[in-house]
Amino acid sequence: MGWIAGGLCADVPPGTVIPVCIGGVDLAVWCSQTGVYSAWADRCPHRGMRLSHGFVRGETLSCIYHGWQYDQSGSCIYIPAHPQLTPPRTICATSYPCASRDGAIWISLAASDESPPETGGREPVRSLPFAGSAERVARFVDADLDALAVLGGEADLAVAIQPVSDTACMVHAFAANGYDPKSVSVQLESMRGEFEELAA
Amino acid sequence: MILYDYVLSASCYKVRLMAALLGQELSLKAVNFHPAREHTSPGILALNPVGTLPIVVDGGLVLSDSVEILQHMTRDAPLWQTEDETWFGFAARLNETLGLARLHDILGYEADIDKVRKEGVTALRFLEKTLSDRRFDGGIFLTGPHATIADIVCFPNTALAPDGGVSLDPYPSIRLWMRAIRSLPGFIEMPGIHRLHELAPMPDAQLAAAQGGGS
Amino acid sequence: MSGSPENHWYCVAMLSGLAEARKTLLLGKEITVGSGADGAWAKSADGSLMPVIERFGHLWACPGEPKKDLFSIPEADGEGRRLVDVGSVRVRCSPLRAVENFLDVAHFPFVHTDILGTESNAEVDRYKVEVREETDEVWATKVKFHQPQAAMSATGGIITEYMYRVPEPTCAVLYKTCPPRPGEWDVITLFVQPLTEEWCEVWPWMALYDDDSTLSEMVSFQQLIFMQDRSILENQIPKKLPLDPGLEVPTQADLTSVAYRRWLKKTGYSYGAQLVAA
Repeated sequence: MGWIAGGLCADVPPGTVIPVCIGGVDLAVWCSQTGVYSAWADRCPHRGMRLSHGFVRGETLSCIYHGWQYDQSGSCIYIPAHPQLTPPRTICATSYPCASRDGAIWISLAASDESPPETGGREPVRSLPFAGSAERVARFVDADLDALAVLGGEADLAVAIQPVSDTACMVHAFAANGYDPKSVSVQLESMRGEFEELAA
Repeated sequence: MILYDYVLSASCYKVRLMAALLGQELSLKAVNFHPAREHTSPGILALNPVGTLPIVVDGGLVLSDSVEILQHMTRDAPLWQTEDETWFGFAARLNETLGLARLHDILGYEADIDKVRKEGVTALRFLEKTLSDRRFDGGIFLTGPHATIADIVCFPNTALAPDGGVSLDPYPSIRLWMRAIRSLPGFIEMPGIHRLHELAPMPDAQLAAAQGGGS
Repeated sequence: MSGSPENHWYCVAMLSGLAEARKTLLLGKEITVGSGADGAWAKSADGSLMPVIERFGHLWACPGEPKKDLFSIPEADGEGRRLVDVGSVRVRCSPLRAVENFLDVAHFPFVHTDILGTESNAEVDRYKVEVREETDEVWATKVKFHQPQAAMSATGGIITEYMYRVPEPTCAVLYKTCPPRPGEWDVITLFVQPLTEEWCEVWPWMALYDDDSTLSEMVSFQQLIFMQDRSILENQIPKKLPLDPGLEVPTQADLTSVAYRRWLKKTGYSYGAQLVAA
């Protein structure tokens, strides 16, 4: 797997964190106040709590359980139970390559030399879950499971399919600049309806 | 105004939350719904023969339907009112699906759990689609530019969906809508719905540590 | 103490909730609990009666052969205490994670915000932890923490002192400062019934000095607190409690947790535990 779309930037505005699952790997994806995106293993090194339940202050992410605070490099910089303590550098969240491009958040589970894919001038529309594996959805829309599959049509639709599990994936959709997003949304919903009816 | 309240009830929370957002005083009377089933005691049944909570008593008025209660509470707050009754029915649907799944998972209530979870997912997908359209129009709330009782009646059972084993992870617009509600001035939490800690200022001890370069 | 989970005592029901027999799970196996003229009983799936004890308002069962009597809480017998059945809540987490969370004060400012703790007073001072050899129990004492609202009967912030005790792998007892009776301790327990290794039913129980609150208010307060923990407990990874160091990083505030994990490992109690760092 190379770059996988984990969400749309508009859905993760500055100061927020969301859970993203890529092929069974749970991630916390967050956007700092200044708009820098990061993707980390969704586990606080302290007690294993999901960091995606945490909160963003400035350029840091804190765990909701005990408030341990991490900077953008993933290093723990503050432990509220021990305000005088400088946390050892070894306390560190596991981070993955993450970048935003053309309004989408791209994540790679392995180090990558390549840039995230372009969306060919299309605008992000919305993300929605499909009840089926990424492979099955890709087959259904007759596309390769590439980072971005162009479906074309009047809206010049393109989708990035994010594998979640054997029974679920997320479809991130992009359409021609200026095309009515509500009608694309209706089109996506009916596509999902057809897929899930076939899959059932 | 008196609220006969159960701390874990999503519907009682609608009333507590509404009061907090309006800045209204609410006198809480705790009802031992679980384990003592006090809502079926003669005293409570005399107020509400159906045996459900919440019950609100305001002077001579006794109300036990959460929508009616919120309409009563907002009678002098036109910005919170809405004509769009679709969402009142939808809130009931959330209660019968996600709400029941939650009671099943927490308190062991009888339920066709796979069915109610599946119907809950269908309801969440409808909510997500609607909110996504609202966002295309530049909004975030259900019925207009600001929150109304439609948002308040739909919020608790949606936000508590994970309590019943239904994930909210795949719904970005629902997440931002919930965030908008949790950011409203006066917002209060309930167990299972955390406050947004980032809205509180960083405490002094932490600021001092940050300014000291963490040394 | 034997490591075999079958030979321990487990809370399986509230005595006041046994009017009708019901099925439940214990250590992954179906059991039935009920009551008759001779008192409360628990039966395994093959119909055989299990050793039982009625104590602390609850029914306790042992699926194997009990190696010792169920622990006692002498403090709870004090005259004037109100004994509070809080009921039960089901949680999709390891029973051991539920106990460990109960032994922790450092999460109060973030999970029980403005009730048991505040972010501006989040510091945890050094406290004392020991395994008491004569009873084979884990104890943490002199645990002090700033609390904005320590209990129903408390108004305003105070420094509350706690003692924690783990008398059984799936049970914890908390003794805490009792505002209306200086010198006495309120008793709050967490009895965890392991349904499976990753699913449990939690029975809090309390013996409090409180002449002001209604019973419903006390139940409500404890359910509020525990349900705030539930969303944490269902979101820890891995689900089972790691007993080997390496996967999770403790600090000085986690000394009780460290002692609890070591004690579980030493006694060989591994139901709900993860033994090899993943």
